[in-house]
Amino acid sequence: MNVIKTLMMACCLWATAVLADPPPNYPFVNFDAGLKAARASGKPIFLYFGRYGCAWCDHTNKKTFSDASLKMLYSDHYELVYVDAESGRRLTLPSGERITEAELGVRLQAFATPLFVYMTPQGDKIMQIPGFKTVQDFRDFDRYVRGGHYKQKTLLEFLGGKS
Amino acid sequence: MWSEALTVNSVQGAQVFTHLESANRQGIAVSGGSVGVVWEDNRDGSPQCYLAIKPEKRAKFQSEIRLSQTECFEPVVVALGAGRFVAAWEEAGQVRARIVPGGAAIRLTAVESAQVTLAVGAGKLYAAWAEQAGRFRRIVVATLKVTGGTLGVSLTQPVEAAAPVDEQGWPALAVAGNGHVTVAWEDRRDRHTVPMVSQSSDGLDFASPARLTDRKSGSSDGLGAGTGAMRPTLTAWGKLGVAAVWLDKRDFLSGYDVYAALVEANHPFGRNIKVQDGFGDNMVQWHAKAVGDTRGRLLAVWDDARDGTPDVWLAEWKGDAFGDNEAIPAASGAGAQSDPVAVLDELGHLHLVWLERDENRGTRIRYVRGVPR
Repeated sequence: MNVIKTLMMACCLWATAVLADPPPNYPFVNFDAGLKAARASGKPIFLYFGRYGCAWCDHTNKKTFSDASLKMLYSDHYELVYVDAESGRRLTLPSGERITEAELGVRLQAFATPLFVYMTPQGDKIMQIPGFKTVQDFRDFDRYVRGGHYKQKTLLEFLGGKS
Repeated sequence: MWSEALTVNSVQGAQVFTHLESANRQGIAVSGGSVGVVWEDNRDGSPQCYLAIKPEKRAKFQSEIRLSQTECFEPVVVALGAGRFVAAWEEAGQVRARIVPGGAAIRLTAVESAQVTLAVGAGKLYAAWAEQAGRFRRIVVATLKVTGGTLGVSLTQPVEAAAPVDEQGWPALAVAGNGHVTVAWEDRRDRHTVPMVSQSSDGLDFASPARLTDRKSGSSDGLGAGTGAMRPTLTAWGKLGVAAVWLDKRDFLSGYDVYAALVEANHPFGRNIKVQDGFGDNMVQWHAKAVGDTRGRLLAVWDDARDGTPDVWLAEWKGDAFGDNEAIPAASGAGAQSDPVAVLDELGHLHLVWLERDENRGTRIRYVRGVPR
């Protein structure tokens, strides 16, 4: 039992050290684990590109991701991936290329955090959304993505047409 | 005046992923007129590290040699003189090094380690890396010895004796003209990423770390812990100086900017200086690198997409500020040119290498030499 407890504590410490600042109590995993899970489950990927110590990430976590229904919506219907914008941890892109988490920011041309990226289960980017967003915003993005509207409309067209 | 651009790597392809990333962006060195370039790519099915040399008076790079046996990342290279180099890299979770040409690879530490870098100066050779120390990595500096064609480690010690309280990584090293050693690194002890620096007069005892950034940590309206800054690079500069260049997100709405700080005649790193000019202000900068020489020339290189696609940019230190940003002709224009690494040789010539990405043809590593007018 002590061995199991020690292992669990070590895992928690590792998760804290590596994953930096995802919202608490969400099942965020690293990029490679998220991609693997998405391929198996067929769920889209919600990638949170955050920065350690980022004030706007903290604000989003407290104001938006604290919403219980949003947590359930995203935990149930997405593979949740957290990427640390300044980390040297490596990940494998769907192409097979291995880069650091920080280098993913270069590929995304990330100019601010938080940055939220929606991806297909195969890892193709659907859209990326920078900055603080509300619970309602994330509900709209969810309808756009899981409803498949991105295949026919831009996000602006979709949002402009919502009732 | 720029030389004709050369291609360094002999193997390219849509599925060959080529990287010039390393701690201190130490991917090129000039030794006795020979140019050595190191990089990582997966042509053999897994990431491996390679080195190519262009001997003095040869028009092209020779075929590259493979440095590693198993998965390899973030190689660096420095000049030993007379056409010899020392390369270092991470392989199978530990940092290694060897003399090239000839020489056998050695492990620099038996501990899990990564992000190795090298520096030479005042007749000495140093390495630094990030090494696992309990829950986090910390920065370690080693003095290396070269005996004939054999490389050895004579002394290894952490910059700080105390165990790290959060992650440290991406060290940069510089040896000033008086032999003083400066090490800079990314540090998260303040709950966000801050470039820290420490100096030693003998490479043995390092002073308590100080911040490179002149911006304080702290939450904003009770949120977060501070703005981010990452990937510090160092260069020796002038007779006694050291310069640092890093990516800094203090203006958090426009991505990372390039900032610098200077040590002159043993005065500590002072005010932070914005490197890029106003045309790059609303654009995110990446892959910044400090480049200096003993004659007092200092410049920074990086890439940004202010003209629509990623280009390599250069700014020279003018004594009180960095000058107008210049696009490197062969490393700008249509397509993506990025990830510069550069070094100044004994004649003051700038040797620059970068990635030229093409999704269909693959990535070429390109090289030019710049001679001051």
